[in-house]
Amino acid sequence: MDFRLSLEEKMIQRTVRNFVKNELMPLEQDVLRNEREGRPGLDPETLRVLQHKAKAIGFWGINTPEEYGGANLGSLAMAITLMELARTFVPFDFGGYADNILYACTDEQKQRYLIPTIEGTRRSCFALTEPGAGSDAANIRATAVKDGREWVLNGEKIFITNGNEADFAMVFAVTDKEKGPRGGITCFLVDRELGWRSERVRTMGEWDPAALIFEDVRVPEENVLGEVGYGLELAMRWIGAARWAIPARAVGSAERLLNMAIEYARTRTTFGEPIADRQAIQWMIADSAVEIDATKWITLKAAWMADEGMDNRHQASMAKLYGANMANRVVDRVLQIHGGMGYTKELPIERWYREMRVFRIFDGTDEIQRHIIARNLIKGHVRVDDFLD
Amino acid sequence: MNIIVCMKQTFDTEARIVLENGAVKEDGVQFIINPYDEYAVEEAIKLKEAEGGVVTVVTVGPARVEEAIRTALAMGADEAIHVEDEAAFGDEVTVSEVLAAVIKDRPYDLIIAGNQAVDDGSGQVAVRVAELLGVPHISTVTKLEINGGEVVAERDAEGDTEIVTAPLPVLVTAQQGLNEPRYPSLIGIRKASKKPIAKVAVAELGLDALAIARRSSVVEIVLPAAKGAGRVLEGDTGARAQALVRELRQTSKVL
Repeated sequence: MDFRLSLEEKMIQRTVRNFVKNELMPLEQDVLRNEREGRPGLDPETLRVLQHKAKAIGFWGINTPEEYGGANLGSLAMAITLMELARTFVPFDFGGYADNILYACTDEQKQRYLIPTIEGTRRSCFALTEPGAGSDAANIRATAVKDGREWVLNGEKIFITNGNEADFAMVFAVTDKEKGPRGGITCFLVDRELGWRSERVRTMGEWDPAALIFEDVRVPEENVLGEVGYGLELAMRWIGAARWAIPARAVGSAERLLNMAIEYARTRTTFGEPIADRQAIQWMIADSAVEIDATKWITLKAAWMADEGMDNRHQASMAKLYGANMANRVVDRVLQIHGGMGYTKELPIERWYREMRVFRIFDGTDEIQRHIIARNLIKGHVRVDDFLD
Repeated sequence: MNIIVCMKQTFDTEARIVLENGAVKEDGVQFIINPYDEYAVEEAIKLKEAEGGVVTVVTVGPARVEEAIRTALAMGADEAIHVEDEAAFGDEVTVSEVLAAVIKDRPYDLIIAGNQAVDDGSGQVAVRVAELLGVPHISTVTKLEINGGEVVAERDAEGDTEIVTAPLPVLVTAQQGLNEPRYPSLIGIRKASKKPIAKVAVAELGLDALAIARRSSVVEIVLPAAKGAGRVLEGDTGARAQALVRELRQTSKVL
């Protein structure tokens, strides 16, 4: 067994690490100030310039198929990239990608939706969750009724990432109440111009999703994504496919935070000795290091399984559950080690503390992950003693 | 134009350094292209892009050096020669003899190297190579132009700028400020893993291992003393100035 990255993976890691260090970390104080004053951390122009700079060296469409101009690096390289990007809280990503579900577009739809999304000229959002249906997505209430060559859409969506900025939404609605989740839910591509509106949902983090409101929005029938009645199947194929992305981010951020804590513990002196000499601090550092390493390997294995074409859903759920909780424990300890300073807005720790709480909620809550993991074991889909089987 | 870059892999100076048995402990250390050599790689690629030609990277070192070579190839270098041979791992004399022997039978118009390596900082190897090859050299270059058959270089001369010209072929060493090294591109990274690296042994270069063996040895490596707390001098200006001079004379002995 060889735990080393290949030279190619290592060069990708090193390049992203240097990009983060040279291009993003110097912006951290600006981001904190902007956010404190109610502006987006990175203004759109700065983000565009940074993405352009990254694109010039080919860091664009990291996981987008080559036929759309992407690099299609694969899951393991993507996990490594995300770990590196998450070493900073500067809200940056390499452009050039689209939600997987958009690849279900017809050729004609691809021209209008998929390709402009990859190219960054249009923005999309994935609108499934409703006030009464989150993890239990089959319970959605939004409806679409056929009227001539159009569908009439009514309902409300919530916690939609990019919902405020999106030019179009992938909206799931019930088209056949009798059939319900099996053949009765359809996905529609709905341009903002068709008449839906969005409202910002303020969260404890610096990331604000939206509520989307649909009132008699008329959608042309050629805007059905995939087949009528099979929207939920489409969604389920996409949800959870990259569940390892959250723990990958958790690793990068937690490593940066732990390094900050170690540095602080070395230099902060109380009663004549550095707090790094105190066992209470040492145990927090030790526990954090162990948990970060565990998350790293459980996550890399989930990504590696995806690249090998194996069913990685169980592993990805374990990575997500453990990594999300690891991040919350580590940021809490790091804040504690920094004492009063950790609680201030002078340092970015409290920002990470607020951001990381949602790791345990979105893309499947802790409870859903535990449910999936336990069900797989109890029903015998996965054996406890499967050792690298 | 044929450009040769002499490159060394060093440990990352931003990382914490641990000494063990009189040497820097390599386990767990990140290795990088010596930053001054990275300027050399960048300058060579820029010149190639402007003038056409081939950039060949030459390096001496153990197997781990491959990562630095691949990185230079990913940035845009075309070829690489790696002397991975215990007989080549000596002091500045050994390494410069080996590099000169690798270079001498190849076509070259320009040789670029870093001004010094950040690990031992001798600043000797590149200029020794120029001497052995019998070509002129210009050190600590901050700007480089090719003008027909000669180079025009601005060099950092103790804080002043000196403009020096020399006919090709010439060896120059790169100083900080020469350029901003690029990131390797993703395509470059992918291509780099497929580019061949020529491996050369000392015997194949017609060198006598004994004759080029190290003539100096490192007796001891120590970390700099930990920085103590500062001291604020008190009293009026005259008294503080006197106290400062006394301290500089007696305690730190710099005057």
